[in-house]
Amino acid sequence: MTASFLDREITVAPVGFNRFLVPPAALAVHLSIGQAYAFSTFNLPLTKLIGITHSAPGDWDLKQVGWIFSIAIVFLGSSAAVFGRWVERAGPRKSMFTAALCFGGGFLVSAFGIHLHQLWLIYLGYGVLGGCGLGIGYISPVSTLIKWFPDRPGMATGMAIMGFGGGALIAAPLSVMLMDHFKTATSNGVLETFVTMGVIYFMYMMIGVYSVRVPAHDWKPAGWVAPLKPKQLVTTANVAVDMAWRTPQFWLLWGVLCMNVSAGIGVIGQASPMIQEIFAGRVSPAVAASFVGLISLFNMVGRIFWASTSDYIGRRNTYMIFFLLGIVLYSSVPTLGHLGSIPLFVAAFCIILSMYGGGFATIPAYLRDMFGTYQVGAIHGRLLTAWSVAGVLGPVLVNYIRQYQIDNGVPKAQAYSITMYIMCGLLLIGFLCNFAMRPVNEKYHYRGSTS
Amino acid sequence: MIGRLVFLWTVVGIPLLWGVMKTLQNALKLFQ
Repeated sequence: MTASFLDREITVAPVGFNRFLVPPAALAVHLSIGQAYAFSTFNLPLTKLIGITHSAPGDWDLKQVGWIFSIAIVFLGSSAAVFGRWVERAGPRKSMFTAALCFGGGFLVSAFGIHLHQLWLIYLGYGVLGGCGLGIGYISPVSTLIKWFPDRPGMATGMAIMGFGGGALIAAPLSVMLMDHFKTATSNGVLETFVTMGVIYFMYMMIGVYSVRVPAHDWKPAGWVAPLKPKQLVTTANVAVDMAWRTPQFWLLWGVLCMNVSAGIGVIGQASPMIQEIFAGRVSPAVAASFVGLISLFNMVGRIFWASTSDYIGRRNTYMIFFLLGIVLYSSVPTLGHLGSIPLFVAAFCIILSMYGGGFATIPAYLRDMFGTYQVGAIHGRLLTAWSVAGVLGPVLVNYIRQYQIDNGVPKAQAYSITMYIMCGLLLIGFLCNFAMRPVNEKYHYRGSTS
Repeated sequence: MIGRLVFLWTVVGIPLLWGVMKTLQNALKLFQ
């Protein structure tokens, strides 16, 4: 009985179904898994499990704990790539359910790891199991939304992927509240918080599982007619996932995503120390934390704003704006630092981070434009390996170059200048990849039935 | 159908709004 409830056939929407019921289903999943961006709130408490108020002998150190998030992100990218085709075949309900089991279960296994004080169990729980939940959950609703909104695919996927950015805004204060609530003389509350969050997120994701529906094969929005003459760089053909990654377009898009994410993710990781060091003596750690919160908000808002805008101006033009405006803003950051203008500095990074989020949210619609709707979710899954690479490339570039400069006597306030120019270089590569984009050669088109 | 639509959007909207409000409250410190 359970198996049939999860099957794709059971989720086909009846006639008259309101398609605006589907985005909240996707949001329920993305708001949950977006918690990953706020995992750092657990880092310090995880180093005080024995000492409670301070790190005691036998407690884990920050470096060891930092690996939990890294493993989760690696498994996000790899599981999205590996399970993408299964997600397409199984349908959104079964894949969302699997994601809920993995993500919620990951918290519970990690809580057991805290109970036994075994770090490998947390690596396995949140890192491997939770990471698979992140990857499968991230791509689960994408192709369904694109099929429900053929007239506004950017807006539809932007709404879901906005949830991934918004999840951190919810999880950060929620984690702190729960840890405060469960704190006792013998526990700093992390174990209980993990159990609670595992249960809450599983139940919340189940809202998505129950409410998601796929459209019937021949369904179209009322009154909508597919354009007779498709726009430039919008295909009416389909490309299968195994063929898609043999095309130059896949790798150009891979480069576009990787460069856009590398530039943004490098800044996110260093945002707090960066603003404190550039405006030394004027920005306290608390104010820097506010800066991090504000750019996270723009990261979220940028996802729906830019993805929706791309429906009107085209995906290629949207990325052109990201790369060109990004180069202008990154190259102006050193000057804004010298001028001592905090509001302009903050404004520049808010726009940069909106384009970072926008890059994530617009890519599924760009993939649909290039490869059609047939296996767009699976192709998206494989493209997310660019995120895994960027997750290493961006922070490494920023951290190592900054440290190299400081070691060579450059004042801390000026140590970010070269980094910003290197980010401009990454964006220039992304610009060239996007500039080179052409329609997929017909020899790659899928000729079979897509029903 | 309308009731379900309102319910689902409320269920996802309220936590999101709460998170945004909390973030904005903290962000105000930047301009104080």
